[in-house]
Amino acid sequence: MIICNNICKSYRHGASYKQVLRNVDLVVNPGDRVALLGRNGAGKSTLIKLIGGVEMPTSGNIKRTMSLSWPLGFAGGFQGSLTGYDNARFIARIYDREYKEMKAFVEDFTEMGRQLRMPVKTYSSGMRARLAFALSLAIEFDCYLIDEIILVGDQNFQRKCQYELFEKRKDRSMILASHSTDVVRQFCNRAYVIHNGQAEAYDDVSLAVDVYTEL
Amino acid sequence: MAEDTLRRFREGWRIQGRVIHALMIRELHTRFGRENIGFLWIMVEPLLFAGLVATIWRFMKGPEEHGIGIIAFVITGYIPITLFRHGVSRSVSVFIANSSLMYHRQVKVLDFIFVRFLIELIGSMMAYVFIASILVLFDEFPIPTNPGLLVGGFMLYAFFVLSLCFIVAPLSEMSEVLEKFIPVTTYVMIPFSGLFTMASWLTPTMREYLLWSPFVNAMEMMRKGIWGDQITAYYNIWNPLGCSIVATVIGLALCRHVRRTLAVE
Repeated sequence: MIICNNICKSYRHGASYKQVLRNVDLVVNPGDRVALLGRNGAGKSTLIKLIGGVEMPTSGNIKRTMSLSWPLGFAGGFQGSLTGYDNARFIARIYDREYKEMKAFVEDFTEMGRQLRMPVKTYSSGMRARLAFALSLAIEFDCYLIDEIILVGDQNFQRKCQYELFEKRKDRSMILASHSTDVVRQFCNRAYVIHNGQAEAYDDVSLAVDVYTEL
Repeated sequence: MAEDTLRRFREGWRIQGRVIHALMIRELHTRFGRENIGFLWIMVEPLLFAGLVATIWRFMKGPEEHGIGIIAFVITGYIPITLFRHGVSRSVSVFIANSSLMYHRQVKVLDFIFVRFLIELIGSMMAYVFIASILVLFDEFPIPTNPGLLVGGFMLYAFFVLSLCFIVAPLSEMSEVLEKFIPVTTYVMIPFSGLFTMASWLTPTMREYLLWSPFVNAMEMMRKGIWGDQITAYYNIWNPLGCSIVATVIGLALCRHVRRTLAVE
């Protein structure tokens, strides 16, 4: 389970403060597929980063009783100057997994072939997404944090993700920040709409999507 | 309950050990690459620094100073000071340089600082052993009379450097001005590091002031360990130890504070 209790987050730039999240409560049960909806800059990515422990909340606390992936998004998680293989090896080491198995899975899932021998900074965002997903799927987390990135892949990648994430790992949880209402409607069972720093919980996903569309 | 805490504590250490191992390898890759001598580069820089300066001094000032070999004297001074200067300058902006790794929760900010310091430490120790072994063959470096004291002094020196890194890293995050002052500060520090002189060569008043410096105390220990009865050394183990502990506590508190407000891209 993940329980966010009354979290606030503000950023300081020079003398000015910007409050991004205000008293947000959020609960994710095992097996939940939670969508985060909100306009650009509403705080979806910030919330995902806080849940993933990349940044710390200004106040409030977060309890995590299941294993969480790192936020899978456009930035972060990789060292750009190292190759795909080196990054895989690093991640295998820090998550205590067998590199050989991981390497086999990554090669199979990404279908990137020789590209894996190139520095990650030369990858397109689609290739990064492939690598990030491959690594996090190989680690087998209880809950996946996905920040937009699922939509950057091509058809083939989306099919693979759908199979690996939504069919094979049906029992896992997921937090998905997305602007694609179709994806949210199709795969999520609960939703939070983030607006003006506050998160409103909805058990009815289509209602949440309607509210979001009206924003 | 207590057993459970102990188990979790052990598990935490095991994870940190793994993370530090992985970070070390990654840092060595990104800094030195896999070509030619690879990670052996870590000892080249201190080696060149100490070796060349010692050679210059040898030609400028003759073979001996106050009855001890000048080459060995300069090397015993320069290897630790390179550890200090590199260690501190490597910890500037270390959080930004590694921010993409903060996506992995088990990687802590202290790991970054520690790993960079550890690489400098290993490099300077390898350089020390390497250059001393060669010079011993040519009779330019004495065989240490008290290796324990030498190693102890080096460890105290290193501990103080590490504690400074713990302070410099978060401060560099809080203020960009600091970055500009680091090179000049580490340079100005040189006379207070015990590099050029033994405390016994100074006037009693000067000596008293200089012995406030943890670096000087540790340096005197190292040199006493090498030359033994040939020299008089003044040191107090508690000075570097106490200073390091105080600096570590301040540094850890600063790191914790900065981590809470750190914005990661």
